[in-house]
Amino acid sequence: MIHINREDIQIISRNSNWNEKAVAQALQQNIYSSSNNWKKFLRVFFISLSICFTVSGIIFFFAYNWDNLHKFVKLGLLEGLIVIATAFILLSKFTETTKNVILTGTAIMVGVLFAVFGQIYQTGANAYDFFIGWTIFIALWVIISNFPALWMLFLVLLNTCLGLYAEQVASNWTEVFVNSLHFILNVSFLISSILISKYNNVKIPIWFSYSIALAATYFATVGICIGILNEFNYPFLVLLFISAVLYTLGIIYGLKTKNGFYLSIIPFSLIVIISVLLIDISSGEFMFLITSLFIIVSITAVIKNLISLQKKWSND
Amino acid sequence: MIKSENIQDILQQLKLQEPERFEFNEDAILEEYQKSSADQSSLAIKVLSIFGGLLATLAFMAFLLIAGLYDSGTGLLIFGFAFIIGAIGLNKAYNKIIIDTLSISVFAVGFILIGLGLDKFHANDNLPALLFILIAICSLIITQNYILSFISILIVNGSILSLIFINKNYNSIHIYNAAMVIAFTYVLLNEAKFFTLNKKISKLYNPLRIGLLFSLLMGLIMVGKKGIVELSPNLIWLSSVATVLAVLYVISILLPIVNANSQKDKVLIYTTSLLLLLLSSFSPAISGSLLIILLAYLVNYKTGFAIGIMSFIYFITQYYYDLHFTLLLKSILLFSSGLLFMLFYLFTKKKLNTNEKV
Repeated sequence: MIHINREDIQIISRNSNWNEKAVAQALQQNIYSSSNNWKKFLRVFFISLSICFTVSGIIFFFAYNWDNLHKFVKLGLLEGLIVIATAFILLSKFTETTKNVILTGTAIMVGVLFAVFGQIYQTGANAYDFFIGWTIFIALWVIISNFPALWMLFLVLLNTCLGLYAEQVASNWTEVFVNSLHFILNVSFLISSILISKYNNVKIPIWFSYSIALAATYFATVGICIGILNEFNYPFLVLLFISAVLYTLGIIYGLKTKNGFYLSIIPFSLIVIISVLLIDISSGEFMFLITSLFIIVSITAVIKNLISLQKKWSND
Repeated sequence: MIKSENIQDILQQLKLQEPERFEFNEDAILEEYQKSSADQSSLAIKVLSIFGGLLATLAFMAFLLIAGLYDSGTGLLIFGFAFIIGAIGLNKAYNKIIIDTLSISVFAVGFILIGLGLDKFHANDNLPALLFILIAICSLIITQNYILSFISILIVNGSILSLIFINKNYNSIHIYNAAMVIAFTYVLLNEAKFFTLNKKISKLYNPLRIGLLFSLLMGLIMVGKKGIVELSPNLIWLSSVATVLAVLYVISILLPIVNANSQKDKVLIYTTSLLLLLLSSFSPAISGSLLIILLAYLVNYKTGFAIGIMSFIYFITQYYYDLHFTLLLKSILLFSSGLLFMLFYLFTKKKLNTNEKV
């Protein structure tokens, strides 16, 4: 029998005299969760609830006694946990994915350890050195495990370090310059991940590339918008040039790989930038009217093109 | 979705299966298939049209504010109605994904203008909300476009909630919650009825389902997070009446599916679930999100399931965070619930395995 889905049932029942009982039966047989699915689900549901509640019970127990614990015990507990987790990863025979998930959890524990260390010794550390410490100490794990979630954590940490450094130490950097640095950092990660996946045949999950691409486009858009609204400076010119080159590359890449995602975010970013430019030229009432019409027309044009591209791709 | 070549096969198969005369309008079915594959909108397109619509709305509101056009109440009302009628008319005329951006922003601007216009007239506080409900219902009757219908359902329920706030009749939130629980449960469990009733209702089904889900969540958040609404703490359990009864009802549907048919099992399952649900009756939001998870899994509704799991985790965390117990007591509570769920796990594992052997 051909597998039919919910939309099929909906369309057919809308245009026929299919009765309610038969439709209910068709839904039951083809769509709804089966007995076996339910059994599996209930087992997973109860065991996850059990583990979550028990572990949080234990954590709350330590939290209750936290103030009374000696600093040696506090650090020892966390370090012990990290050592046990890494030993478990090295020695146990679980699947690679399970081990990687545990390693990601352990990498977060390293951050907790640094936070507790800072709290006990009042190191007076600027928040940014705390993040740099965390980033450096998990770098080896990130490279060895090559696990996307861990890479993502690493990239978030790098961006945080950069942002905090700019805020706390390099306060003379302009916002445009900081956003440009973020943009370059994320784009270089994106491009290297695409190149690595191409030449080494490693499969990089879609959500990973998409999140980095989104972050990169965000920083470029914000950077350029701030540049437009503020006085002219040279970093802005550089950012404009880099963005123009990279956006063109992104569009070419999207067309080549038939990927609608890049063909949506780059035009969207351009539309936002042009809208800000329009408002910067004049903030009179009619400019806002023109901007709002411009947004509607341009977004509609982008969507129209995307739909016709999708049609073309599916026919190829 | 099946390919168009397979439609004929399926229709023939159905014709054989149905005892009575099975009649269908093949042209209409093929036409809908063609339309839905031409309008095949990826998530990127949906998100683009929603964000684009929002940005355009913002720019347009800025235009109105700066131009000072909002000074005339009558003008605002006329424009507001014109915009809403325009958006609905556009959708009616060309029901295509391309014009979604335009119709969303025009529709939203229309509501804002009417709200501002009524404000100029110092109308009764309840009037805008009542009018919004009426307009949104009219829009639902006229057009069944996915995004407009979804927004209309949110406007109806959001206006009901705002009526509760305006009149400071906070405890009636429990009535709202009960109504949402009943409506959501009914809609999810009677899918076939909605599909076969008539064309319009069948097309409204998807936006109705997601709209009710969000409306139910809004109500649950009101009772699940302390301090949003001044509720009488002694009456919080009122919302639980509906959620607990609904969960028990879903369990009664579930029992035959997992082959728990013996009298002993039934009594055991009902007593433990009732006990656990009664314990959680201080937090209707927890049993409410449990209801969402169970219903969504039952009918294999993936978005609902994901939202249900997220809200379940959120409400449990919120509940323990708000609880005025010492950390030690919380720790004991959490640990013993963990052990209890372990017992449930062992019970289901044992029961379901023996069933599989039979």
